[in-house]
Amino acid sequence: MARQQGWFALILALAIAAGALLVSFPLQLGLDLRGGSQLTLQVLPAGSIRSVQKEQLEAVKDVLERRINGLGVAESTLQTVGDDQLVLQLPGEQDPSRAAKVLGTTALLEFRAQRPGTEQEMTGLLKLKRQAQAVLNQSQVKAAAIANGQPVPPAVSIKAEELAEALTQLGISVPPGSSETEQLGLLLSTVNTKIVALYDPAELTGKDLTSAGRQQQQTGTGWEVTLAFNSEGGKKFAELTKGIAGTGRLLGIVLDGRSISEATVGPEFKPAGISGGAASITGNFTADEARDLEVQLRGGSLPLPVKLIEVRTVGPSLGAENIRSSLIAALSGLALVAVFMVVVYRLPGVVSVLALSLYSLFNLAVYALIPVTLSLPGIAGFILSIGMAVDANVLIFERVKEELRSGNTLIRSIDTGFSLAFSSILDGHVTGLISCAALFALGTGLVKGFAVTLAIGLLLSLFTALTCTRTLLRLLMSYPGLRRSTYFVPAAQLPASAS
Amino acid sequence: MSSTPSIAPAPRFRISRHRILAWWGSGLACLLSLIGLLMCWFNPAIGAPLRPGLDFTGGTQIQLERACGVSCSALSSAQIQQPVARLQLPAEPGTPAPNLASAAVQVLDQGRSLVLRLPAVNPEQAAAVVAAVREVAGPLNASGTAVDTIGPTLGDQLLKGSLLSLLVSFAAIALYITFRYDRIFAGLALLCLAHDVLITCGVFAWLGLLSGIEVDSLFAVSLITVAGYSVTDTVVVFDRIREQKTLLAGLPMSEQVDVAVDATLTRSLYTSLTTLLPLVALIFFGGSTLFWFAVALTVGIAVGSWSSIGIAPTLLPLFSRR
Repeated sequence: MARQQGWFALILALAIAAGALLVSFPLQLGLDLRGGSQLTLQVLPAGSIRSVQKEQLEAVKDVLERRINGLGVAESTLQTVGDDQLVLQLPGEQDPSRAAKVLGTTALLEFRAQRPGTEQEMTGLLKLKRQAQAVLNQSQVKAAAIANGQPVPPAVSIKAEELAEALTQLGISVPPGSSETEQLGLLLSTVNTKIVALYDPAELTGKDLTSAGRQQQQTGTGWEVTLAFNSEGGKKFAELTKGIAGTGRLLGIVLDGRSISEATVGPEFKPAGISGGAASITGNFTADEARDLEVQLRGGSLPLPVKLIEVRTVGPSLGAENIRSSLIAALSGLALVAVFMVVVYRLPGVVSVLALSLYSLFNLAVYALIPVTLSLPGIAGFILSIGMAVDANVLIFERVKEELRSGNTLIRSIDTGFSLAFSSILDGHVTGLISCAALFALGTGLVKGFAVTLAIGLLLSLFTALTCTRTLLRLLMSYPGLRRSTYFVPAAQLPASAS
Repeated sequence: MSSTPSIAPAPRFRISRHRILAWWGSGLACLLSLIGLLMCWFNPAIGAPLRPGLDFTGGTQIQLERACGVSCSALSSAQIQQPVARLQLPAEPGTPAPNLASAAVQVLDQGRSLVLRLPAVNPEQAAAVVAAVREVAGPLNASGTAVDTIGPTLGDQLLKGSLLSLLVSFAAIALYITFRYDRIFAGLALLCLAHDVLITCGVFAWLGLLSGIEVDSLFAVSLITVAGYSVTDTVVVFDRIREQKTLLAGLPMSEQVDVAVDATLTRSLYTSLTTLLPLVALIFFGGSTLFWFAVALTVGIAVGSWSSIGIAPTLLPLFSRR
């Protein structure tokens, strides 16, 4: 009996430890339970890189982390998932559009000089760009003017035939039935790529930046982004500007292959170029756009492009509703199983309910310890594992009953029951764990979470069924008053000699 | 071997006597399931054995709650659908804005909540759609909004990952049983497993055909759980057959099977019951997200315990060379 008491002390100690653990480390709830946004980004191989390696994934993660910090979002987490994915969680965030914009682009900034002999083509393209932009931006300009109490500027429009001519000139085929706004958008993006084609390859990129900032434009209503170069970048910038100063050729600032600003460099910079290691981009940004670009430039450009493949946003009241309903389901599931066990198995049924409660307690403690972030499917896995955890108890008790029916003594029946049931319990749990391993290795986010909770449940149920149930039952059997076969099996099923 | 009757009393229930009935029942269920899957596949609106949900097709689902309590004005889905279809979305540089003409709108809870299904849009575009709905439907409860966007590549990955993990776990379980028991047992356990998974899929194929129920990644999870459970259940019966092998060596295989099934029958029924009880709780109280997941598991586990009693043991005499 001393050995049973030792086991009992261990189980008691574990239960207390689990309780203390749950109090000091609260469970982590997933975004589907607390509300918030989750963004999944896939890193795409590009250029000479065929498949994404671990170091490249980490490098992308570093840049994204710097950008997230720049956004100033509280308690966000960024984790790598699998070989080429990153998951960003923004608890409490209801509108992930800014995060999506800032994280989803490469932000490769290039400074490129215009090729000689392309001046005429450039002038035409720039005129088209200005026209299209003016029409597209006018609703914005109008709103700003009304907000500031300034007179509303006259409406700008582009003649239909002029637009059509420009489109055919650039070789753009317009999808039938598209609106003017769509056509202008198409025109603008084509013009921007054509402008980029008129530049020399980049000598200076965002790599040579030391910092970025933003300020309101001195003229006009827009914002500009200020840049500071490191010493090498400063030198390159001076050389670049020296080469085109006074020629009428432009300095292009290209972001992710789109021309965002074209600047002239005056003849006064002919001797030494623009020195001092600073520059600014006047791209007619709104305040938000300027801030986002600043964050991106400070964080650096991504070594590989990323693509947003999944966005999930859950409102806080929906999350609370999910918690409530799954809690009710879990508790009523437990209660149903408990009633069933006590009615069918009597005294050992009570023991199994105790063991089941210990199982639930240990389970939650392990979730808090690892920590496992509890999501809705995770909770479903937990509820399901309650039902499966009882399976082991049922197997054992059925065996005990059988032994009793064939006339064995109580204590011997219990021991034989446990040892005979062991092999099927083990097989069942091992096959379950095999499925979990397959799910975990090959599944994605949601599926993985389910596999982890189910695997923890299986391991713990093996422990509670074989240790807790057995110890508690043996301990109870040390009280002679409880040592009665009729507490296990109805008297009618017992052979005459044993009852 | 002194007194066989005392170790194995004559079984009260002889499964072998009902085996033709059991095979017919399961065969019919499998056939119906196959028909359902094929009808889904050849249905031009579905084009796959099961009606794939957002998780697999990719797209955006927006769930909205109107902030009008009980006094919600009546709203038809067409009232929402038209302005959404006409909406000019803010374009993302480099990609054309998605076409919303195919947007589908569902009005639920007497007009209190709305579910929109769109092609995949980015968060900014989703916000524009919500704003457009607000103009028609009135104020919305921001904390009751859920937006899910799944890119088409992810759905593909998910599908491949789910199928692969299903196959790999099949193979690993077969290996384990071969190692612990023998090849025939492993083959029968896999047959049962295929039977259980097929019927669960069949039920959802019919649900998809008749009432438009879609399968999501949780369905894939439930299939794998059902597979694991099915094997666990079958193994218990096999374990008993193996245990009795030396004791009952004189009896024909079908008698041995009867004894084993009879001895484990109560246990099989009780363990299915204890697993089904929490699932029933999930169906009734678990909320809409987990409803179909719980239904899939309930079907799978019920079928799984049937096949472990009626199919795997009754087929054993056919394959075992005594």
